[in-house]
Amino acid sequence: MVSAIYNLALTTGANRVIRGARIEHVCGDPNLGPDKDYAFGMHIVRTALDAMCTAVTGPTLFDPLEQAAALEVAHAT
Amino acid sequence: MQEPLRVVHYVNQFFGGIGGEEAANAEVSVVAGAVGSGRALQQALGDLGTVVNTIICGDNYANDRFEEARVAIETQLRSLQPEILIAGPAFGSGRYGASCTQACKIAAEMGLAALTGMHPENPGVTRALPDVYIVPTGETSAEMQQALAGMTRLAVKLGRGETLGPAAHEGYLPRGIRRLYDRQELGYKRALSMLVRKLKGEPFVTEVPIHEPERVLPAKPMADLAGAKIAIVTTGGLVRKGNPDRQVAANATRYYRHSVLELRSLSGSDWEAYHAGYFNHIVNSNPNYILPLNFLRDLQDAGVIDDVYEWIYALPGVSTPVAISQQMGQTIAKDLQDAQVTGCLLVST
Amino acid sequence: MRLEMGTFPVEHISFASPTRYADGHLYVDKARVIAAVRQDPRIASADLDLALPGESVRIWPVRDVIEPRIKVDGPGVIYPGACGRSITTVGAGRTHRLSGMGIVEVSSVNWHDAGGDYVEICLDMTGHWAEMLPYGKLNNLCLVVEPDPGLGNEAQNDAVHKAALVVNDQVAAATKELTPPQLEVYELTDVDPALPKIIYIWCVHSPQAMSGSPTAFCTMTYGLTQLTPPWFLHPNEILDGALSGPYRTAFAMSWTVVNNPVMMELYHRHGVDWNFLGVITLRTEWTTQHEKQLMANQTAKLSKHLGAQGAIVTWDAGGNEFIEVVRTIQACEQRGIKTVFLTSEDDATEAAPTMLEPLPEADAIVSTSFFKTHTLEVATLPPVDRVIGATQKAIGPLRDELVPTAGPLPPPPRFDDHYGFGSLSCIEY
Repeated sequence: MVSAIYNLALTTGANRVIRGARIEHVCGDPNLGPDKDYAFGMHIVRTALDAMCTAVTGPTLFDPLEQAAALEVAHAT
Repeated sequence: MQEPLRVVHYVNQFFGGIGGEEAANAEVSVVAGAVGSGRALQQALGDLGTVVNTIICGDNYANDRFEEARVAIETQLRSLQPEILIAGPAFGSGRYGASCTQACKIAAEMGLAALTGMHPENPGVTRALPDVYIVPTGETSAEMQQALAGMTRLAVKLGRGETLGPAAHEGYLPRGIRRLYDRQELGYKRALSMLVRKLKGEPFVTEVPIHEPERVLPAKPMADLAGAKIAIVTTGGLVRKGNPDRQVAANATRYYRHSVLELRSLSGSDWEAYHAGYFNHIVNSNPNYILPLNFLRDLQDAGVIDDVYEWIYALPGVSTPVAISQQMGQTIAKDLQDAQVTGCLLVST
Repeated sequence: MRLEMGTFPVEHISFASPTRYADGHLYVDKARVIAAVRQDPRIASADLDLALPGESVRIWPVRDVIEPRIKVDGPGVIYPGACGRSITTVGAGRTHRLSGMGIVEVSSVNWHDAGGDYVEICLDMTGHWAEMLPYGKLNNLCLVVEPDPGLGNEAQNDAVHKAALVVNDQVAAATKELTPPQLEVYELTDVDPALPKIIYIWCVHSPQAMSGSPTAFCTMTYGLTQLTPPWFLHPNEILDGALSGPYRTAFAMSWTVVNNPVMMELYHRHGVDWNFLGVITLRTEWTTQHEKQLMANQTAKLSKHLGAQGAIVTWDAGGNEFIEVVRTIQACEQRGIKTVFLTSEDDATEAAPTMLEPLPEADAIVSTSFFKTHTLEVATLPPVDRVIGATQKAIGPLRDELVPTAGPLPPPPRFDDHYGFGSLSCIEY
């Protein structure tokens, strides 16, 4: 489940929760301009697909922004 | 002078006197009259009820082989036909609490009056909402007398077919069923009185008990992403432009599904958002923000996923009564299962 | 900040010249007041009418109900900042008020044109709907006003609300030179340090998210409606109308804000049962988790910094706005501030939970019953003899069915007793 107000989803028991950008534009951000907006939206969707391939034991947050940071670190080293 | 009620007592292996942990696998058995802690129950009932039979079920059997246990308990209840089933009290024992809750649910489904007792933090409580009457007890059987006093008082009422009043008035745990009620005192006064008591450390009773939400077992992860068929559902209020289906903007009673078989992306000239809970204009320019079809199609083309399910589901998720949401979820899930969808992406605003 | 409040109870209103108050009777010079309203070239039409308790009359569309108040001494103007008024800090000196009456702002202007928010409230002066709300007991002076349709929506809102404020100024001015029959002094005096320190966290909807505009019309804090971080207000500022203007529910009118019984009770028992520290207004409907949590953290921090030991929390909205409210409660409790939450409840069909996010820290809740008139099973509004305002009303889930306002009518969708005016509640089985 992709949601910008993700804590509510976790509290009420959704098991795989992906952090969305903002209520008004969940899968992307028009302020980024077309290319970066698309890349951001794609990243959110890919995070969601990764979550669906991940075993979880209860409500778990998958934050696309944290994933991106982790990827950057991996590339740097 | 009323006849004593026909009571059936439901206990576990320990309180039924057949053994401790080693007997926890005991299957369902029935004995005549009261046994073990049932004797204290009979004393508490006095002339108002007679424990005609006791059903004994091992805690492990009840929890681990619950389908079999259910059938056995149902069979017994059907033949015994009690006027009231009294289960436990289970105090703080989680397995026993779950077992008692299950027994009471089975009775309720059969139209039989039932009641149990356990500590308010017993995990069996959450599963009991909203159907099962639970009398709150202490944590251990040291408080058996008080527990039985509370339980028999209510059991007699239920056994006689009387309707129980609100939880706080009658002495059972709130079951999540909320009804209109005039508290006579004005709201702002009640709020400030409650605050003063809370600040003084004096006891107070919240007017809205918070219940822990149901925990759902997570679905197993998708094993093969490249072979996956992904479905998309949105509560962002996606509608065809002009809303020809006349979907509402709030308080939805149904969802609509749309075919995206030939679609690569959602365009603002064919789709829009109609949802009374957020600013719709951004999604109107790019509906993929709430139903990310274009990304999934690109991933399909790249071989990352196999397919996007033909049908997408949409409703406006604002002011939707929970009961209706549950029904919609169940129907959609069944559709997706029947279509052998591998995974579902739900986007919420 | 010391404020003297002089109360002039109104038992009758009638149209006569000049505008004056005498022995509980308010006389309104209709022509003069309308002329004052029409000085604004943005106003296309304006008329005044009376709706008195017990009359078979219905008022629609009701945008606001305003209690006439005026500053007679001290800095600033009443309802500061609204519609271009002075933003000078208020709350000191002397203010006069006309109790027992309201100025009803009746106009077809909608809150904003981004969709989702519509003017919903009609008021009856007799029957069950009148009894459920405080306005049925007020002598209501209704301003039926329409702006130049060529104006943008925000300008239309500004014009008609300003017109209602002009009526306020005209009418309240009748009390300027008079000695009030009742006089109260409002001051947060020093009190016994042993008394518990209580803050009132007053959560107010911002229209910014729904409208896409930081200047959309709604309840205002010194004229601002945008999403702002928590703001400390002295209760005297609120008595002078610093928090004013309607949201969209029956109990979210300017009148209910200045007469908020939670705030008034906190004030009246200051120094007796507690030390009332003041009010923190928290704007709601931020649209990311981070923003909502940030508001909660900062409100709790501000409360703690002010010395709060206890907090009473109210809100005036629904939906996702619950999140910043309940997270504020959580943040306060985590900092050792004991909270009580005064709120209405959502649909309870089939034992559904009536609170959006079930956080265990919200362990002291007082309920003002269900907010949906549907869940409350409020009966259809009966036919009335007279309508003030529009003779037709749009009803139905798609608002596309026009019916005569005179009725019978389905009740407005929301009741929502935000401040605990009544004793209706819920109980659990």
